[in-house]
Amino acid sequence: MRLQTNGTLVSSHPNLYNENVVRKQDNTLNIDEIVAKYRPIISFKVKKSIGAHTPEWEDVVNEVLLNVIDKLEKSEFRGESSIGTFIYTITSRRIIDYIRRKSKVLKHAPEPIPFSSPHQNVEDEEQAEHMAKLLEQLKPKYKEVLYLYYYKDLSRDEVAVHLNISTRRVSERVNYAQKLLRKIVIK
Amino acid sequence: MDMKECNFENLIDDYLLNRMTEEKKEMFENHYFSCSNCFEKVEERNSLISVIKSKGNKIFHDMRETEGTRTRSSLFEQLFSFLTPKQWTMAAISACALLIVFIGVVPNVKSPTPQFVLDSQSVRGGSLALISPVKNTQTIPSEFRWDNLGEGVEYKIYIYKDNLLWSASTTGASISLPEDVKELMKAGENYSWEVKAFSQEGSLIAASSKVQFQIDSHQ
Repeated sequence: MRLQTNGTLVSSHPNLYNENVVRKQDNTLNIDEIVAKYRPIISFKVKKSIGAHTPEWEDVVNEVLLNVIDKLEKSEFRGESSIGTFIYTITSRRIIDYIRRKSKVLKHAPEPIPFSSPHQNVEDEEQAEHMAKLLEQLKPKYKEVLYLYYYKDLSRDEVAVHLNISTRRVSERVNYAQKLLRKIVIK
Repeated sequence: MDMKECNFENLIDDYLLNRMTEEKKEMFENHYFSCSNCFEKVEERNSLISVIKSKGNKIFHDMRETEGTRTRSSLFEQLFSFLTPKQWTMAAISACALLIVFIGVVPNVKSPTPQFVLDSQSVRGGSLALISPVKNTQTIPSEFRWDNLGEGVEYKIYIYKDNLLWSASTTGASISLPEDVKELMKAGENYSWEVKAFSQEGSLIAASSKVQFQIDSHQ
């Protein structure tokens, strides 16, 4: 990688990048676009690792992005892997650093509270309520699968035995339920 | 990278429900950092799971009520859980078939009836017990008696010395020996007799074995 005079990074090895790399017309990396594209992905990973209820998650995300930009500008990204892998590696390391800072002894990362978000904003809560209502209206056979698989946390095989259907049919119903929800949401 | 090409879609639930090894988790995360399609699906599924986990009490309140009912009948279910409904159906059909055979066919299977060889002729029918005379007598018997098989039966008695001496039919379970037949019988001689029972239609329904008796010679 090399930095051009106009501040953009130019790829030395364009063929090593995957198709999701954000590029300008002159094949240079667009850092703004990279940040915009990867912020939600980094946020998702960080929230899953340290918990969405942790108020510092946004700080960790910003720290990751600053690190990414810094390394790109210093040409530390040589294109030996995809930009996604490059950013994932930085994200994982920053998360570990955060956990180390927060834990005196780190053998296992502290178990984040999954799926609970008391600090969700009003908009998120409204969306969740709306989704809940849609779920209530699903046909019993789809609702039942979602209830057993996600709410009761049974495996696909266990759900199949419970409902006396095949494991494949369980997967089909889960996927179809999601398609239905997607359709309703779009409408 | 297209989701269908890499088949990572099947891993989304395991990832979001924390059912993966660390190694597999890292591999999957690395993948969705590079695959926008996959990440979109991960986000979508995550939203769904989040809502289900946080609001499941309300969404599935009817399922939970049904589950309560199911628990009460779980013993019933346990009894029948070792066979699938299809297998139960087959078992029920087989049991019905056996029942039909047992009730419908078995009673009609007649137990082999005793066979008697009478005058070198095999006769099939029930057995008829002779009552008297069945052993040696001091006098010429006046009456021959046998088991009564009920109403509507005709009996035929045969008395032999070497050959047939006398035969007669009666509807009772005994018969008096006529005087002219008595005169034919002598002391010290061996005789035998048998009885056959016939239905009103004339078919043999029972037969006795041949019983020998001797009239004492001191008479």
